[in-house]
Amino acid sequence: MTKGLLTTSVGSFPKPDYLLRARNQFAAGKLPARELEELEKRATKEWIDFQEEIGIDILVDGEQYRGDMATYFAELMDGFTISGLVRSYGNRYYRKPIAVGPVARRGPMTLEMWKYAQGLTGRPVKGMLTGPYTMADWSFNEYYPTREAFIMDLARAVHEEALDLERAGATYIQIDEPALSTRPEEMELGSRALGIVTQGLSAHTITHICYGDFAKVFQHLVTLPVDQLDLELANSNYQLLDYFRKARFEKAIGLGVIDVHNHLVEQVEEVKRGIKQALQVLKPHQIYVDPDCGLKTRSVEEAQAKLRVMVQANREVKRELGIE
Amino acid sequence: MITTLVGNYPKVPSLTDGPNLRTAITRYDQKRITAEEMARVADDATRDAIGEQARAGLDLLTDGHIRWEDEVTYFSRGLSGVSLNGLLRFFDTNTYYRQPIVSGALAWQKPVTVRDYTFAVEHSQKPLKAVLPGPLTLACHVQDNHYKDFKKLTFAAAEALNAEATALQAAGASFIQWNEPTLVRAKEHFAVFQELAKIVTRGITVKTALYTYFGDISGLYPQFLGLPFQVLGLDFVMGEANFGLLKGFPQEKELGFGIVDARNTKLEIVEELVGHLDGLRATVSLDRVYLNPNCGLEFLPRKNAYEKLERIVAAAARAKEVLL
Ligand SMILES: [Zn+2]
Repeated sequence: MTKGLLTTSVGSFPKPDYLLRARNQFAAGKLPARELEELEKRATKEWIDFQEEIGIDILVDGEQYRGDMATYFAELMDGFTISGLVRSYGNRYYRKPIAVGPVARRGPMTLEMWKYAQGLTGRPVKGMLTGPYTMADWSFNEYYPTREAFIMDLARAVHEEALDLERAGATYIQIDEPALSTRPEEMELGSRALGIVTQGLSAHTITHICYGDFAKVFQHLVTLPVDQLDLELANSNYQLLDYFRKARFEKAIGLGVIDVHNHLVEQVEEVKRGIKQALQVLKPHQIYVDPDCGLKTRSVEEAQAKLRVMVQANREVKRELGIE
Repeated sequence: MITTLVGNYPKVPSLTDGPNLRTAITRYDQKRITAEEMARVADDATRDAIGEQARAGLDLLTDGHIRWEDEVTYFSRGLSGVSLNGLLRFFDTNTYYRQPIVSGALAWQKPVTVRDYTFAVEHSQKPLKAVLPGPLTLACHVQDNHYKDFKKLTFAAAEALNAEATALQAAGASFIQWNEPTLVRAKEHFAVFQELAKIVTRGITVKTALYTYFGDISGLYPQFLGLPFQVLGLDFVMGEANFGLLKGFPQEKELGFGIVDARNTKLEIVEELVGHLDGLRATVSLDRVYLNPNCGLEFLPRKNAYEKLERIVAAAARAKEVLL
């Protein structure tokens, strides 16, 4: 029997109301860090249990303890301060990292939470890191004379974190690079930085890319030094698959089959169609089925409903095609 | 030499002392405050933004685009034929805009920005300019389900923007500006843009400006300098090549000199800005220069945006001392 079509998630899940309230209280100085951490662990456990219950193969911790994906790491590193509020869109604001000195890892950043999450399940939990290119691109820079110098220091720091995760037993390590596809002229630099992160790792490495002009960056994407490219397919009606049809592609792809920007929950049939379309281009073992992107902007109910549809659609495709 | 800004100004204060627009929007979305209460807070925030520009010593202000969700949505949703879709990344910034969907004739029905403009003028001691999106930027950021013809879509956008400019002129605006970053990012549309420029400025007898940013005009030079606007704004931070493309800058036109980085918190050194102005004199006399950031200031926290304005004002003052 052919093997493949494992299910997973891109990274973030929505935070339950009690955790959102607790984060606000913590920010206002009304809740001790220890109590917040307890609630983060409770929410993490709930998401791990949910993923196990619906039968996802490779789990994530849901990033219940993170705010912004660049700022979270910057706060734990040397060389950064955090800015005042900047707008992301609409009425959403966040604080950006500012590089004010040489950036470096102070110590493990995600290790403890990963160990906690992995301790809750027998299935693999992915290590989740923000890539050096995205960290730099989403920070202000008051220190480095060039973007390259900034990105390379970050690459070394993220590499150390990846090594720690691998030593602790992580078999899947994802390095998110959502900013990478925005500047075709810097893809080579971003790729070099990613190479530093993944160098010498034996874990299955993944990079998540979103929102790009894929026509301009595709040739670089396929050569990125990772085992798996995680891409959004659902929100572009699977048009990206055409690129894979044209090129010989041996790596794996994370096949985004759930549109994370839409409140509407997908139909099982629609997701099955997407997976089958991908199977015309790639072999089952090359395909990891997941949502397009992190689900943190959806409600808990929407996210769970979407994940259930994803798992069911994948299960039906596997049954119909005899994939184990 | 006149100091000004390119368009938007951060909406929420870094500290919690100003009018709390962010909280008001949240409450308004939850239907906990009325439209009138919401409008009052937005007006207060507008006054606050104008006050800060004036306090920094700026000569020519804007209303700060306090009500704008992003650079395209606010104006678009004031037109007929438009509904709103999901979030997309705005260029290579880590900010997002809600994509307008055009599903019927894109037509101007009533003023969209005139009330904001006149309110701001009433509450400002200093002159104000009206700033609109450019027709190409608008057209390239919508999803067109109606025209199915790019040129027709752009013409409709240009007509709507001309109608808005006409209404602003009737309301007393003496300076009308269009922001057109797409023009330097999608240069293949320049020929179409030359026609759009005629449409948006038709019947406008007050001063007009076209501001480009996020790139340079290489490839569009020297035709760009012949576009029918009295002020041409260029980005010298992300478009360093613009320094070499000023030869033959028309005597009757003025230059928007975007030399202060609105996308990074690092503060410019006044003497260096003066040095740039000194170099500029070879091609454009300083009495025909608007000194401004390279793009809207909303990429920065409020405090940093204010500091950038202070540097601009200080550089202009110093340049007048030593260069004029
Ligand atoms: Zn993504």
